[in-house]
Amino acid sequence: MLLLIIFSIQVVAENRIAVTKEAIADMLEQFSAESEVAFDYNSIYEELISISQNPINLNHTKREELERLAFLSDVQVESILAYLYQFGNIKTVYELQLIEGLDMTDIRRILPFIFVGEGGNENTKIYWTDVLKYGKQELLIRIDKGFEEKSGYLSEEEPSNQASTGNYLGNQFYTCTKYRFHYKDRIQCSFSAEKDAGEQFWGDVHKGYDFYSATLQLNNIGRIKTIVIGDFRANFGQGLVLHPDLVMGKSSFALKVANRNSGLKKYSSTDENNFFRGGGFSYQFGKIELSAFYSNKWIDGDTVNGSFPTWKKYGLHRTESEYRSKQTINQQLLGLNSTINFSELKLGFTLVHTALDQQLQSEKSTYNHFYFSGNQQTTAGLNYRIRLLNLNMFGEIGRTDKGAMASVNGVSFSPTSEVSLVALQRKYSPEYDSFYANAFSETSRVSNENGLYLAAEIRPFKQWKIVTAADSYTAPWPRFGMDAPSIGHSYFIQADYTAQRNLTMFWRYKYDEKQTNDGLTDAKIATLVPTYKSSLQYKLCYTVGNFRIKSICNVNFAQRNSEPITQGIIFAQNLSYSPISSTYSVDIRLQLFDAIHYENRFYSYEQDVLYAFSMPMVYGIGSRYYLNLRYNCNQSISVWFKIAQTVYADGRENHSTGNEMIVGNRKTDFRMLLKYLF
Amino acid sequence: MTKSPTLLLLLLLSQFCLAQITGAIPSSSSIANTSTSDSHHWTAFHNPAILGKIEKSELAVLYENRFQLSELSTKTIQAAYSNNLINTGISLSQFGYSHYQEFMLGIGWGRNFSNKFSMGVQFNYFTNYFEASNTYRAALIAQFGLLMQLSPNFNLGFSSFNPFQSNIKAEFVVQKIPSIFSYGAEYFFCPELVWRSQLDKEVSSNYRIASGFEYTMLQLVVVKLGAYQSDFLVPCLGLGLSTSAFVLSFNTEMHPLLGLRSNIGMRYQIHN
Repeated sequence: MLLLIIFSIQVVAENRIAVTKEAIADMLEQFSAESEVAFDYNSIYEELISISQNPINLNHTKREELERLAFLSDVQVESILAYLYQFGNIKTVYELQLIEGLDMTDIRRILPFIFVGEGGNENTKIYWTDVLKYGKQELLIRIDKGFEEKSGYLSEEEPSNQASTGNYLGNQFYTCTKYRFHYKDRIQCSFSAEKDAGEQFWGDVHKGYDFYSATLQLNNIGRIKTIVIGDFRANFGQGLVLHPDLVMGKSSFALKVANRNSGLKKYSSTDENNFFRGGGFSYQFGKIELSAFYSNKWIDGDTVNGSFPTWKKYGLHRTESEYRSKQTINQQLLGLNSTINFSELKLGFTLVHTALDQQLQSEKSTYNHFYFSGNQQTTAGLNYRIRLLNLNMFGEIGRTDKGAMASVNGVSFSPTSEVSLVALQRKYSPEYDSFYANAFSETSRVSNENGLYLAAEIRPFKQWKIVTAADSYTAPWPRFGMDAPSIGHSYFIQADYTAQRNLTMFWRYKYDEKQTNDGLTDAKIATLVPTYKSSLQYKLCYTVGNFRIKSICNVNFAQRNSEPITQGIIFAQNLSYSPISSTYSVDIRLQLFDAIHYENRFYSYEQDVLYAFSMPMVYGIGSRYYLNLRYNCNQSISVWFKIAQTVYADGRENHSTGNEMIVGNRKTDFRMLLKYLF
Repeated sequence: MTKSPTLLLLLLLSQFCLAQITGAIPSSSSIANTSTSDSHHWTAFHNPAILGKIEKSELAVLYENRFQLSELSTKTIQAAYSNNLINTGISLSQFGYSHYQEFMLGIGWGRNFSNKFSMGVQFNYFTNYFEASNTYRAALIAQFGLLMQLSPNFNLGFSSFNPFQSNIKAEFVVQKIPSIFSYGAEYFFCPELVWRSQLDKEVSSNYRIASGFEYTMLQLVVVKLGAYQSDFLVPCLGLGLSTSAFVLSFNTEMHPLLGLRSNIGMRYQIHN
């Protein structure tokens, strides 16, 4: 019996990463399905993996801890806390079914990240002997390579490359090395080095990796809640001032619109821009938490006579011209946040000052007339959260030193356990432009938008859940591609059906109406025409033993003004095999797409190697497939492989453009990750 | 002398109209070619997951004729060996006439997982022959299939023929081999009456939507009725005879432009 228990525990531990990865994949798939904005999902991925390695003890948890689980809505967090308050400790995870507002899908998602038991992450003294004994280290080495040679790697003599402006300096390999150490969730540190495909690793222009990052985070050291040194992120309020992390805006998690105040945290991703470099701390005294941080780093831009037109955020330094603009501008940032936390009220104030050593002077046109120009910016914001029984109000008001204002206010309400409602209003003036703002918005900019978002989640019957949302917004000033004030609407409805414990499905419909330029070049007054896009998706998930099968069909329609409607369709079939007691797992997808027009493009989430996120965009006619393999060589070493290929069947003789152009109709990518635990 | 070009033209036209570019893929004995979710009958070069459902080893032959032209006929022979671990199927088909022929030889494996779902893979060696140049060209084709039993009377099938888009490359031209995704559903109203529907999508062709009913009378005679829509609506009719060892089937469909298409098959189940 003892052997059986030990074996079970070992098996559970081995499988935990696989289960966590599956849960994260599900969640990101739901989220990314409605978002076409490229974002660094890796951070949220790493955060969740980190929680799964140090799971939350539900019997000793706090709101802040539960709010780290990005897929839980405010209402669900409140429900869990209310249940614990009312009934005391939870005896077993099966008890989660009794908590109002959590269905089987939610419970399945939450399981990898929690446990119930005695003892929690108390604020105990750290002994270095324990740190050395129980601290966990991991080394990750990842290599990616495309099989087909891209135009940018061909020599200048090649005729097909004559039109290119500059070849890639490096080879086709993407390489990344990461080292991480953590002792529970008290001490975390990491070091990363990365080279993108095409960047030179060792040559005349550059030597070594292109990007290095190191960070150290200490939590709960006496009254000091957090100390971060090195690369870090800071998120406060609803994101009007500072929120480099992912904002869960419009998604199928329709109720999840309030940003959580996650404070300072280490940064160990490989996005080369959206982070701070320096240090900071959060100090807690009584109900007040005070955070201060300072960052000093170099950013990319083409500088001429002490000014630069735009901040290059791609982090790619593959050609000589890209390399010339690498780290040419010094950016310093000083930030403060003070938050007072009562049981029903939370108030926070954030102040951030940014200084550049060169002037940001973008080439002005109508749409970017109000974009920030200069080398100094100060932004302040006041945020709040009020909780009154089932009512949860939140919001923030932000102001820049030029007097531009932005505000966002929301309310979530759960009148019964079957119904939850959310309303969110935002008003961002066209003049508001803050460097690190990232709040609920139709576009990636928190500026020039007024809107109202309404959402509801209803559980009308035991096995059904219906989520619906509507958003209406206006842009009072022209935007990129819209040379006049514009309006837009979007509607969303999703019905989830859990037929059996192992069989779930959903139907999702989304409708978007936006405006765009009419394209008439001789028009004296800019006029806009409407564009419509709707999509319908069906997904079925079926689990049998160690197998998991997913079938997805997604069809979309696009129309510009009164032009003919164009249509796209994608079929995808997934099969995953992840045996609990085995050392390997397999994941296969076959996908067929028929979306001739770019407007009908699809973004589809794909399983990937550990800590990697992939959501390739496809359009045209063709198929795509991948094979994902994990193999645990022993308890310390695991290897992941992924090979993916897209084959176009629309007669094209090459695809992509410029240096990325590939001759032929196939694109093949290979990825490998080695994890060494010690 | 004019017969060959005419036949080739007709062949191309039929391929265009029927969204089935290769004649070497035989039609199945399922009504309206709804074989992807047919949990009872495995047909060569269709969903290999059905192989996993076979409980007895079997031999089958199938003859298919298109539009009453002997040159446009497909002959198929298939054998399946059933055991407790994994079922194996071998199949061979030939299509064409003296000037142009297609052959396909396949070997596949399927396994049933506790009657909840079955999975199969098949590898086919596709060859064509042009008499004019006296050349054989060949390509290796993969097939993949799943059959999910979502409830005791409802099955969902998926199959993919040539998902990697293998083609036959000649000196100057590339002959496309179809790359087909198929989803099918099977619902038993009662053991005697089954309703099947299927959606096929060849990567660069139109959709094919098919649906049909099969009704077994007196545990002996099977009557089949269905239709499919591709570029035209094509009605389908079939008859079957089922004994403990033999299954005979005869299917017809009437294409409004090209005419009658029919197939006849005999299956012999070997009692283990």
